[in-house]
Amino acid sequence: MGLRERLVRFATACPHVFVVTVPGATRTRLLLEAELRRRRGRPVASPAAATTLVVCGTPGPELGTAVDTVWSGIPAPRALVRLEETASAEEVAAALDRAARELADVPAQWAAAAARSREGPWAPGGDGEHDHMSGHGHGGHEHGMEPPMGLAMAGRADDRDGLKLDVLHVPLGPALKDWPAGLVLRLTLQGDIVQDAEAGVARGRGGGASFWDEPWLRAAAGERVPEGEAERRRAASHLDSVGRLLAVAGWENAADRARGLRDDVLAARSAKVLAVRFAGFARRTRQSRTLRWMLRDVGGIDRAMADRHGLAGPEARHLGDVFDRLSGWLDDTGAALARADSTAPLEGTGGPRGPVGSRAAAPVLDVLPELLGGAELAAARLIVAGLDPDLDRLAEPAEAPGE
Amino acid sequence: MHAYVAVLALIGPPAALIVAVYALSFAFAPPGEAGVGPFLSGARPQEHALSRYHVRWYAVTMVFLAFDMEMIFMYPWALVVTSVGAKAVIEMFLFLALLMAGVVYAWREGAFRWV
Amino acid sequence: MSDGAPVGAAVALPLVLAGLAYSAAVMDAAFRTGDGPAAPLRESVLLLLRQRRRTLASDVPLVRIGVISLPVAALLAAAVIPLDGGPGGSRVWNLPVSVVWFNAMEVVAWASLWLAGWGANSAFPLVGGYRFLAQGLAYELPHMFALITASLGAGSLDFGAIAAAQDEVWFAVWMPVAFAVYLLSALAMAFWGPMEHPVADDLGGGAAAELSGPDRLLFFAGRLALVAVAAAAAVPLFLGGGAGPWLPGWAWTLIKTVAVLALLVWLRGRWPVIRMDRFMTAAWAVLIPAALLQALVVGVVVLD
Repeated sequence: MGLRERLVRFATACPHVFVVTVPGATRTRLLLEAELRRRRGRPVASPAAATTLVVCGTPGPELGTAVDTVWSGIPAPRALVRLEETASAEEVAAALDRAARELADVPAQWAAAAARSREGPWAPGGDGEHDHMSGHGHGGHEHGMEPPMGLAMAGRADDRDGLKLDVLHVPLGPALKDWPAGLVLRLTLQGDIVQDAEAGVARGRGGGASFWDEPWLRAAAGERVPEGEAERRRAASHLDSVGRLLAVAGWENAADRARGLRDDVLAARSAKVLAVRFAGFARRTRQSRTLRWMLRDVGGIDRAMADRHGLAGPEARHLGDVFDRLSGWLDDTGAALARADSTAPLEGTGGPRGPVGSRAAAPVLDVLPELLGGAELAAARLIVAGLDPDLDRLAEPAEAPGE
Repeated sequence: MHAYVAVLALIGPPAALIVAVYALSFAFAPPGEAGVGPFLSGARPQEHALSRYHVRWYAVTMVFLAFDMEMIFMYPWALVVTSVGAKAVIEMFLFLALLMAGVVYAWREGAFRWV
Repeated sequence: MSDGAPVGAAVALPLVLAGLAYSAAVMDAAFRTGDGPAAPLRESVLLLLRQRRRTLASDVPLVRIGVISLPVAALLAAAVIPLDGGPGGSRVWNLPVSVVWFNAMEVVAWASLWLAGWGANSAFPLVGGYRFLAQGLAYELPHMFALITASLGAGSLDFGAIAAAQDEVWFAVWMPVAFAVYLLSALAMAFWGPMEHPVADDLGGGAAAELSGPDRLLFFAGRLALVAVAAAAAVPLFLGGGAGPWLPGWAWTLIKTVAVLALLVWLRGRWPVIRMDRFMTAAWAVLIPAALLQALVVGVVVLD
């Protein structure tokens, strides 16, 4: 067993983490991402590639089911880490250390794997708690024959040209890399084209307001908050969205730079240095012809659409396609960094994602189905990343102070 | 014949390597097999994924086939250009021009845009 | 290595290819995470230590054929590339139509990805597999035109003869469009870098989303081997083969191959992923006409 244990230690020196973030746990996610970077690990995109499942925050029932499902898809050796909304950087590091020790516990891992193999494979209908999932968006399932392996074959529905074609029901989220925490999109696909989309939210159990709105909420509660702190939070919020969008667009390098900048902005590094670094990053991002080519005419929002859905965040100010919204984020970040040292008291409710205290994410959820209909699956992901709804703001609407 | 012996010799080591990879995995990995559901970002499937996939770019496949057949002629053509002379070049590029006219038509019909 | 010992070359070739693929993985890890030369080894060991994983009602033989065919195709493509870059030089298979064979082996990747994506019985790999077919429709013709342009310049379909025809000036210099098209289509063929949409993270890894353990290891090793083979073929096709001062042919071949390989690996982080619904028009309306014009220019030049 000694050899195996040494091999596992060697092989898992860099963590392979699949991250599920619960609405309200943005802060924990940022700590985790920073810690992963220190350990030269990257979040992975599928359970098959992961050794460790990290859950940031306390999931509610629907998210809990999703976490269980992802966990069941990770082959041994594997470890599960649950982080509280209030976890500190030290706690995050300690939890990852614990996970590494768990992975290298060869007798326990091998025994668990053997037990799992004896249990037999997962079968549809086997786990009763998923029953509520099957009620959604049924198309034309053809019943009557015994379905193979207990799972129906694809049904058929009309496509946009009136042809009857196979449809698949594929959800995006809540457990997906570079995805807004808690967002669930139930898509009906023909090929890789979205025929129909339905947006929902998988909530968390823990409380806590949106991390990005926090300075404004504190100011509204009567605390004296320097404007610079709020502007840093605004810049970090947009950089987080930019990083996510670039990651979904498959530009890992640029996404890493955006996230590095985000963490440095939050870590109160000198605003002058950050502004220079950001200017270089923004110029390169804006000037990338390939990026422009890939994002142009994806998910266009015009004034009428924005008004119809009551959009109030940056997406309402920067109308246009995903590239326009990316430009808008970069503009807003630059402006925010210019005021990052201001010590004037914070006034107003103009948070990074729209007026603080409003449910600004709700209109975004409303607009998504309209934007996604007819989009290709990759474009659908870009559209979502280009809006980046902050569902933390939906988590506790009752506690948000009024204007 | 010697060449084919070499190709067979070439197949041997990688075949051994591939067998070795699976054998090592068999020897060192945890026993048994984890039967899992497909990864659907946290959900369970409503139906099997295997289905008649709607390929919207089917028109491109037709244009491609036409061109790809033509490419087969271009391989031997490349060998004889110098011996046949200008005639070979003119004929081939007239043929390609005809095909390109088809591509332009397909382009105007929107065959290369399908979303 | 003498030309009388193709069997010796047959033993050396897998090692050379594995070495190149490993060095590509090391460079990639260094560019991406700043990790050291042990990073790919760690990944491989981890994949060998994982319990076997099987998705519901998946077609295991199909997936396995898809996975195994990738490294095998890369190796068979490499069999016709001269190791010392010279005519009649040492290579495993002295095939007079080696360019055609090389091209045929590359096309195996179409089947590999589609089989691996389809066999998993999972929606994301299914979409990933079809993404690669669309990608194939966009890159394959420009790729073949680039190969034919180099063949036309030398009047031969043999890598050795093509390398020998570049005694005076490299093909990369006087047919730059063909060289650029070759590099771009090589990225697409190896679904690497900006062309990795079929295995992109936006769908949990696309065609590879459900691969784990030895399957995943062979799949990604095969992909790296394809990148390495594409880099190695660029040397006799466009970079003068083993020609160069002082050093022997095999050394120049190796140096040039590693240089092209480093370029391809470095390109990975430079661009966002290119989607075929955008690229298809550009491939047919720009790349193919450009490659054809290049072929016409070369055709006219070789007539003189």
